[in-house]
Amino acid sequence: MSAGTLSGPSIPRRLARQTGSLLAVTIRHPFSLLVSLVLLYAAWIVGEGVVSWGIVHATFLAEDRSSCDPAGACWAFIVNRLPQFAFGFYPEQERWRALLVVLAPPSLMLLAVVPEFRGRRVIMVTGFGLYPFLAFMLLAGGLPGLPEVSTEKWGGLTLTMIVGMSAFVLSFPLAIVLALARTSGLPALRLVAAGFIEFWRGLPLVAILFMSVIMLPLFLPPDVEAPRLSLALAGITFYSASYLAEVVRGGLQGIGRGQYEAAGALGFGFWNMQGYVVMPQALRSVVPAIVNTAIALFKDTTYVMVVGLFDLLNIVVAGLSDAHWVGLAAEGYIFVGVIYWTICFGMSRMSARFEQRDKPNRPAENTLGMSR
Amino acid sequence: MSEALISVRSLCKWYGAWCALDHVSLEVRAGSCTVLCGPSGSGKSTLLRCLNGLEEWEAGDVIIGGCPVARRARDLRRLRREVGMVFQSFNLFPHLDALANVTIAPRVVGRQRRADAERAGMALLARVGLADQARKLPADLSGGQQQRVAIARALAMAPRALLFDEPTSALDPESIKEVLDIMVELAESGTTMVVVTHEMGFARHVAHNVIFMDRGRIVEAADPASFFKAPASERARAFLGEIGATPVA
Repeated sequence: MSAGTLSGPSIPRRLARQTGSLLAVTIRHPFSLLVSLVLLYAAWIVGEGVVSWGIVHATFLAEDRSSCDPAGACWAFIVNRLPQFAFGFYPEQERWRALLVVLAPPSLMLLAVVPEFRGRRVIMVTGFGLYPFLAFMLLAGGLPGLPEVSTEKWGGLTLTMIVGMSAFVLSFPLAIVLALARTSGLPALRLVAAGFIEFWRGLPLVAILFMSVIMLPLFLPPDVEAPRLSLALAGITFYSASYLAEVVRGGLQGIGRGQYEAAGALGFGFWNMQGYVVMPQALRSVVPAIVNTAIALFKDTTYVMVVGLFDLLNIVVAGLSDAHWVGLAAEGYIFVGVIYWTICFGMSRMSARFEQRDKPNRPAENTLGMSR
Repeated sequence: MSEALISVRSLCKWYGAWCALDHVSLEVRAGSCTVLCGPSGSGKSTLLRCLNGLEEWEAGDVIIGGCPVARRARDLRRLRREVGMVFQSFNLFPHLDALANVTIAPRVVGRQRRADAERAGMALLARVGLADQARKLPADLSGGQQQRVAIARALAMAPRALLFDEPTSALDPESIKEVLDIMVELAESGTTMVVVTHEMGFARHVAHNVIFMDRGRIVEAADPASFFKAPASERARAFLGEIGATPVA
């Protein structure tokens, strides 16, 4: 394929060309040379400190705080507690289940970035679509061979992953229905959808979480006991659906009347028209906004700490008060920050790949940066 | 020829106080080619769009193949499979390549298997001379090519009649010829067609009937020879003069 021969030699060459031109710009004028030197010096001062604290003088293996080198970071805190940060209070011999739940989303995302192969789209869609249900079943257990584990024991990155992914996946179909209802020709439907969206979007997430965990059980029959996690998840899902619905509506507005007429003239019914003609175009045009919402949602899952759930951030914060490791806030927050940043960056790369591949005029040879 | 495939009886449509169609009646025989012409705003496109239910109307009937066009969504969908439509602005699905544009309706609406639909789709693309462009997206095709794909797409549902709404008005002269050639071939092979167009050459040489409309009324309905030779009404004469299609002696 021509794309293969283009991508192979062109990337290093392009890189060389770009660094070359960067260097040329840098030293063209005395002033820009001066600015470059000042910036380089600043980078050195900051970078040297970070490397010295975070790597050179850092302690990676220790039994407690006192055996850490005070001149550097005490990563031993993170290393010792890594299982807890990753899996919460999940029973030790059952942790492989939590590990699967944590690794599934990044693997699916990786699938999005590797070169095209047959059936990839199907695997990804079913993978993401079934994730909330499969992950919940796997973690909760209660099946033969899988002992039951109460949701109170779920925590750390596992909880963050399952809350973030489930809220996004579950809110997506809801958002599409809401957006369609809000743009529908039926006034009652429009009103209901607009009311739902404005209600959930207008409340702070913290308030939603409190309401769903404390107030929702009051409305449930007394013998029904819903775990806090499910209640919180329901709240986050509605919150996220109301944001996503507006994003989807934005995409719908970009679809011209001609598309509806063409599909209608071919005999498409409403749902077929939406599924095969309207949504593929509408969603594709708002991929950046969808990913934006997904990233914001993923970070917002940290609010579940207000209802006593131990997600990644909360469990690290809880660990900070351990008497053996007191005073390691910097290490804890940096660790949490790096994890969140990595996941969000992964999502952003995934979306960039989608945008590239799905450009309407698909200039396959040009996406690699070759000039026309 | 055979009986009327499409008959329109006393159709009326208003946009507020503006009367877009004023008691329009019309018959289209199976296998015939009818050209609707007239100045802009005369209601010809509105009439055409009523024939497959894209427009609603206030009074009158549209009967296709003996069945009145109902307002119920399910009946309307069944009707629309029987009547294909080609638009001025092509309205191809931009996210699908040419072949997928042609096969999507047979696959989704007609529930054909992919392989069958694609075989039929390739044959249709070959018929409009675009077999080699099957895997291109609409954005990578010229206007004339896009309109030919749109014709193939309309043909894919094997409709009993084809409606053309100014199919060449958005095209450059070279593309106009590409598209007209296809339309001539369709007409000659006995496709029932109703065409809104300003291409008087097409009307003169290909159409079986020419219908001239003005201000929501049918002013004149005739065979092309007599219409172009001696238009009966003053307005038709003026119209033909304006667009440069002077009556031939």
